[in-house]
Amino acid sequence: MMSVINITYENGTSITLINNIPHIPYFASTVISWVVFLFGVAVPLAILLLAIGIRGFIEITRFEKHNTFYYNINAVTKIILLIGVTIAAAITVWWFSAILTIILLASYLTLKNGFRKLILVLYLTLTFIIGITQGFAPYTPYSVLQLAYHTNTFNAIWEWPSYFSFMGYQPYLTLQGLEYGVQISFRFIPATLSGLILILTTTPSEILGTFSRIKVPLAFVFSLIIALRTIPRIFEVFDTVVKLQFMRGLGSTKPKVFYPMYFLYAGIYAVVPTMVYLFRGAKNTAIAADTRAFRAKETITYLNDLTFTKEDIVIVTLVMAILIISGILIALGLGRGIPYTGY
Amino acid sequence: MGFNGIDGDVNVPGMIPWEVIVAYFVVAIAVAVVIGKKTGGLKAFTTLDLVYIGIGAAFSVVWEFYIGGFLNKFVPSGLTLFINFGFLGRLLIVFIVAALVRKFGTGMITLAAFDILGDLFHYGFGGEPIFLIYEALTYGLFIDIAIALLGGKFLGVGSKTQTVALVLGIVEGAIIGLLWAIPDPIFYDAFFRPFLYGAVVSWAKVIFTIEAFIPGDVIMGAIAGIIANRIQRAVAV
Repeated sequence: MMSVINITYENGTSITLINNIPHIPYFASTVISWVVFLFGVAVPLAILLLAIGIRGFIEITRFEKHNTFYYNINAVTKIILLIGVTIAAAITVWWFSAILTIILLASYLTLKNGFRKLILVLYLTLTFIIGITQGFAPYTPYSVLQLAYHTNTFNAIWEWPSYFSFMGYQPYLTLQGLEYGVQISFRFIPATLSGLILILTTTPSEILGTFSRIKVPLAFVFSLIIALRTIPRIFEVFDTVVKLQFMRGLGSTKPKVFYPMYFLYAGIYAVVPTMVYLFRGAKNTAIAADTRAFRAKETITYLNDLTFTKEDIVIVTLVMAILIISGILIALGLGRGIPYTGY
Repeated sequence: MGFNGIDGDVNVPGMIPWEVIVAYFVVAIAVAVVIGKKTGGLKAFTTLDLVYIGIGAAFSVVWEFYIGGFLNKFVPSGLTLFINFGFLGRLLIVFIVAALVRKFGTGMITLAAFDILGDLFHYGFGGEPIFLIYEALTYGLFIDIAIALLGGKFLGVGSKTQTVALVLGIVEGAIIGLLWAIPDPIFYDAFFRPFLYGAVVSWAKVIFTIEAFIPGDVIMGAIAGIIANRIQRAVAV
């Protein structure tokens, strides 16, 4: 049966919570609260991370040669897209960011192995939504939700044990709290998706050219490029070290059900070898760069000119359209509706 | 609305006066420039140093956005103030790079590279260049000042005996760890968060956050000091 909970604060303001909490015995409810607190988010996140897998992370952090739309756009245009999308997502209502997310996700289909990449980034997007929602939903004070939703009435869907307030939990989990968390996650997701498009479709040397054209010191840009090339390599080496441990018989006599635990164990043991291996390999990279007379002169020359093609014009026009729509939305009162104050 | 997601709010109750923050960064830049000129600036870095920095920044990104950030979700949320996997992992990685390179500027360049990569992979340049300046001239500069003071012997590198290396690694690591507990609550919570987003400042929370950060950062700083020293020896053979 539906009931109503009223909470009155010392300053005289009050809120009403419509009680949609399922009737569960106190003990069971406490156990469920603790399970949710300790593992509730960890389990779906772990499933998603396992679904992406180490190979999956390599695929969504590495440039691969191809010849479709995004691959023909120059790096500057893709950086403009990234910045434009970030600004739009930060200043407008959450559903506009959600629409941008859907458009960007759909555009992953144009990449090399597009369908597979779409599935992988979809998993990644889900991990962000779950992770960020969990980070906000139970903690956001009702006063913030009042400002966000212009209402004093909320739908309570779960009651935490009273002592959870010591950990910053609000007494009740509300539907609005969950919505608020999901909405905040959409501030980041379009930026992440457009950033990955830049990384997946641009060669490191194109990025090097772009940064050095805007006079970023060459030494610094070189470090950046090394980093960009190293990120997929880290997953590759990590994967090899984990597999080597299984080849040596790790957990081979144990039931299959324990595999995830052994995987975690192997993962922890793979961190230091991965680091040492890659840092030792640094010498080869440095020798290779030096033999090509890297930094022998103050400036570098460019093999390819920075050209603006039709595709670039399409993207720049789209970014301008996104920013104009953002301006219109703000004028219509659909700007940053939630009092988000930094992550 | 401000520029690039920066509200530019300087009148939030309780926030540190902007003059103090500007004064800090002016002094920090002056220190960076003066010591940097003495040590040869970017030219002092060999290609190998730059490769180390690049690899370190890559590890920081992988850790912060793909591993550490998710590990935080496996820890009860209230406890991430004490044990923040993402942050502590970055501390370890920056220590390793600093131990390998040991030149003034390593910390600042590594943090700056991490910041730009973080924007490319996750945040999307919103709020920049504030984060770039803030992180490089706080976390990065603290490491660099330690390098400038200790010379090539940062974190016990090059010590005659293993015991001396161990003790120096622990002590120096713990001190830098302690320093790393300060910028986030003081600079970010009490100035940049309200400056960028108009966030409310609660000094009770700022003080509590510093107190909560200190134990984890000091312990991890000490452990990272030892690990960085060991990895430096393993790599430098």
